[in-house]
Amino acid sequence: MNKVLSLDQAVSYVRSGCTLGLGGMTLYRRPVAFVRALLRANVTDLTLLALTCGYESDLLVGARRVRRLRTCYFGLEGFGLAPMFTLRATAGEVEIVEETEASLAFGLRARLAGVGFMPSLAWLGTDLPKVRPDVKTVTDPYSGQEYTAFPALHVDVAVIHAQEADWLGNARLIGNLGLDQELAAVAEHVIVTAERVVEELCGPLELPGFPVTGVVEAPHGAWPTSCYPDYGLDGDELLDYIDACSAGEFDAYLERVLTNGSAPLSTKP
Amino acid sequence: MANATDYTTDDLMCTCISRQVKDGEVLAQGIATPLVAAGYLLAKHTHAPHVTFASAIGNVMCQKAAPLGLTHVEELWLGQALIFLDFAQIVCDLLPTLTPKEFFRPAQVDPFGQFNNVVIGDYHHPCLRLPGCGGIADVTGFSPVVYLYVPSHSRAVFVEKLDFVSGLGVPTADRPGQRPGPRLLISELGVFDYVGGRMRLHSYHRGVTVERIRQKTGFVLELDPDAHETPPPTAEEVRLLREVIDPLGIRELERMSGAQRRPRMRELVRQERDRKHREGWK
Repeated sequence: MNKVLSLDQAVSYVRSGCTLGLGGMTLYRRPVAFVRALLRANVTDLTLLALTCGYESDLLVGARRVRRLRTCYFGLEGFGLAPMFTLRATAGEVEIVEETEASLAFGLRARLAGVGFMPSLAWLGTDLPKVRPDVKTVTDPYSGQEYTAFPALHVDVAVIHAQEADWLGNARLIGNLGLDQELAAVAEHVIVTAERVVEELCGPLELPGFPVTGVVEAPHGAWPTSCYPDYGLDGDELLDYIDACSAGEFDAYLERVLTNGSAPLSTKP
Repeated sequence: MANATDYTTDDLMCTCISRQVKDGEVLAQGIATPLVAAGYLLAKHTHAPHVTFASAIGNVMCQKAAPLGLTHVEELWLGQALIFLDFAQIVCDLLPTLTPKEFFRPAQVDPFGQFNNVVIGDYHHPCLRLPGCGGIADVTGFSPVVYLYVPSHSRAVFVEKLDFVSGLGVPTADRPGQRPGPRLLISELGVFDYVGGRMRLHSYHRGVTVERIRQKTGFVLELDPDAHETPPPTAEEVRLLREVIDPLGIRELERMSGAQRRPRMRELVRQERDRKHREGWK
């Protein structure tokens, strides 16, 4: 069996209105090439779910493709605030479902376990429950203690960028695992983009191919985020992005990366 | 060991952080916290050689140390990894039982050490939406080793009433519990504790008056009767910070305003690129 697809074929699994889960973490191993292809397609009204959101998510929010956000952190780490998220979220132009590490991790685990919720000590006493009235509490039948009952999460399409993958979708993920393995296990469709796609990888690997729908070869597919150890963060590009947004030139920046963004000069040998 | 006379506020904050680390501990490091990373590494290089780092970047545990980086930060964490973890494992299985020591940076903090990293202003009509609270709301309810640090001490950060409580402090009537609350808060002006249930000045940094700290704090500041000047770094601690741990000065970014930061970051990115070519990094 061969699951290799083109980027455009893979993007066609993402329908307007669906929940899209993005793998990697903040500025590390993000599926940026996929996101650029998605931005070229006419897909909108997305619910974006990721442990942390960075550059790639900021492009989607800036381009108004995201209706609802589910993440515990949206920013550019040491590079500062994510400019378009900060702008749109402050203006109330994107719906935020307030999440934390625990609500996302336990929510995915609940789905994996086939139960409606997972109990946790998280959130108790904070203001989080006030802005998430859908999250209820549960009483421990043994001790009587109250726990937060994080509801199971649903993901339609998960996209994960890997260092290497093979025709069956088996993939090698080096570090920054984030929630990649959980996203791949719960999503209806799983797309793996990879720096290199080979016929057959040798284990041990981090991602088994059986839940994978399609595999796309996307060299430099995480740029300008990093893909350790193939390439590091492109700090210049992130600063160019922040500068463009600060100057009110997000649209021009987006046009530039959609036109020639797959040919990063600074990561070429 | 001789005390340093030539040191910066950043050096002193890193030293204060380092001195809260005990040998053998597990230390959690969050996102974009170079002052904390430098402080942890300083402890590792001095009195705490057997600490284990649990890093959000990389999702790894490691025991070796490497210098701070900006664009090659993964060299520090992934390159030295002892074990790769997945984040669900970290959050669901490890944090509740390991309870690593962690330093959080509040956007707002109140007299009880409760803090906010979600939103400034009304939640539904914000003045400024912040990145979010990561795992702060998950662990501050039970962790016995929460510390806070504030690179820019101002009335915008130290507020009487928070706009949103995403991090818990010492137990209060409204938010009771068994947790001890933050052990200390280290700012650019001084070190504070929560003995008695409210933030209290424990020591003031060199050249900082109590009056100035009061002016920069948006609530009534309690005073430890034994409040004293913060002990300075040793000459060796300053040398380690500048020569071994953070030669590029990445720790200085946290106290810079946005306008100062961007040109400085351009310069740091350029310096790292030059070193990368010279030393053959990826």
